[in-house]
Amino acid sequence: MKTLVVYAHPVEGSFNSCVRDVVVEYLSQQNHEVRLRDLYAENFDPFLSANERALHHTPPSTRPELARDVEDLRWCEAIVFVYPTWWSGLPAMLKGWIDRTWMNEVAWVLPSGANTIRPQLINIRRLVAVTTHGSSKFVNAMQGEPGKRIISRSIRVMCNKFCRARWIALYSLDNSTPADREKHLATIGQRVVRALR
Amino acid sequence: MNIVVVLGHPSADSYCAAIFERIIRALEARPAHSVTAIRLADEKFVTAMSSAERVAYETGEPLICAETKRHAEFLQRAEALIFVYPTWWSGLPAQLKGWLERVFVLGVAFRFNDNNKIRPNLNNVRHIIGVSTYGSPWRYVKLINDNGRRTLTRAIRMSTGLRTRTMWRGIYALDTCTQQQREKFVTDTVQKIVKRLEKSAHKP
Repeated sequence: MKTLVVYAHPVEGSFNSCVRDVVVEYLSQQNHEVRLRDLYAENFDPFLSANERALHHTPPSTRPELARDVEDLRWCEAIVFVYPTWWSGLPAMLKGWIDRTWMNEVAWVLPSGANTIRPQLINIRRLVAVTTHGSSKFVNAMQGEPGKRIISRSIRVMCNKFCRARWIALYSLDNSTPADREKHLATIGQRVVRALR
Repeated sequence: MNIVVVLGHPSADSYCAAIFERIIRALEARPAHSVTAIRLADEKFVTAMSSAERVAYETGEPLICAETKRHAEFLQRAEALIFVYPTWWSGLPAQLKGWLERVFVLGVAFRFNDNNKIRPNLNNVRHIIGVSTYGSPWRYVKLINDNGRRTLTRAIRMSTGLRTRTMWRGIYALDTCTQQQREKFVTDTVQKIVKRLEKSAHKP
């Protein structure tokens, strides 16, 4: 499966960067075609400016600086997000990537005369989020899991009708032991591959 | 009352910015309030947490630049937080999310107690108010889970005092709203916010 791995964590050597390495390696071994987007390493600018906001209803050709992202989105059949959950949601870097690149005529289209937008990324059949939470599962449930819902509902609506979203999370990272983290890393590759099946 | 109002929309001529300016004007007219207006886009606030900041996050000195230090001071004085932003992909715009990540850090928003458990540190905040514009209709927003609202009224609220009250104002299906509906929304919102903050301003 053509898989786009989108990774956002500022520190190289962090637990999330280990997860990314394991996931990419495991996917390549299992004959998945992998493209890795490391947003911090690429110095991606997550800020959607006023000028860009004014281009909201224009075709992607008006934003040539995002051509690579558009190409990746149209190419992939699955997206694997690897990121830490901060303040119950996606890090600003990743949210900014979605804000800027899931644009008109790429993620959605508004046909003339219609008043609701239509999904455009029907090539995407799997969405997988691989994330870490500092807090416990209970606290996240209390908060209503906003990060999880952005992926499993908000952006999934723009993908294929049968697109499946999978949530692979390590909760309570702050109180975890090295053994917990080892175990997570040992099984993560397999879990992602299974989610793509 | 010390009130911090944050604008999460990049353009100054947007409807969101208009709501923001009206709220500021109404609150500034009251002598009981002192208002701090933060226009993130105008300030060119850096969106993403940098690698150095992430490393400092784990230490006792997480505020490493003048920008975040200044904003943290506003926050520590604030008794009411008002967020005005457009909902994009059911959540906060990246810049506003970045503001939370970079400013609401250890020693500002939370602290560790003797047992190394996280405890709220923004006990000074008594009101969290959100005003958001939605492109989608109300029903759809509820179905998707209104994630920006939950981040602010649940996740951020956990860092404030137990008695913190929250208030939410949303205008839905904005693209199909008429000029009158928009105008009514602004007037009602401003009025409700002023009333809410007026009441508690008298209490010690």
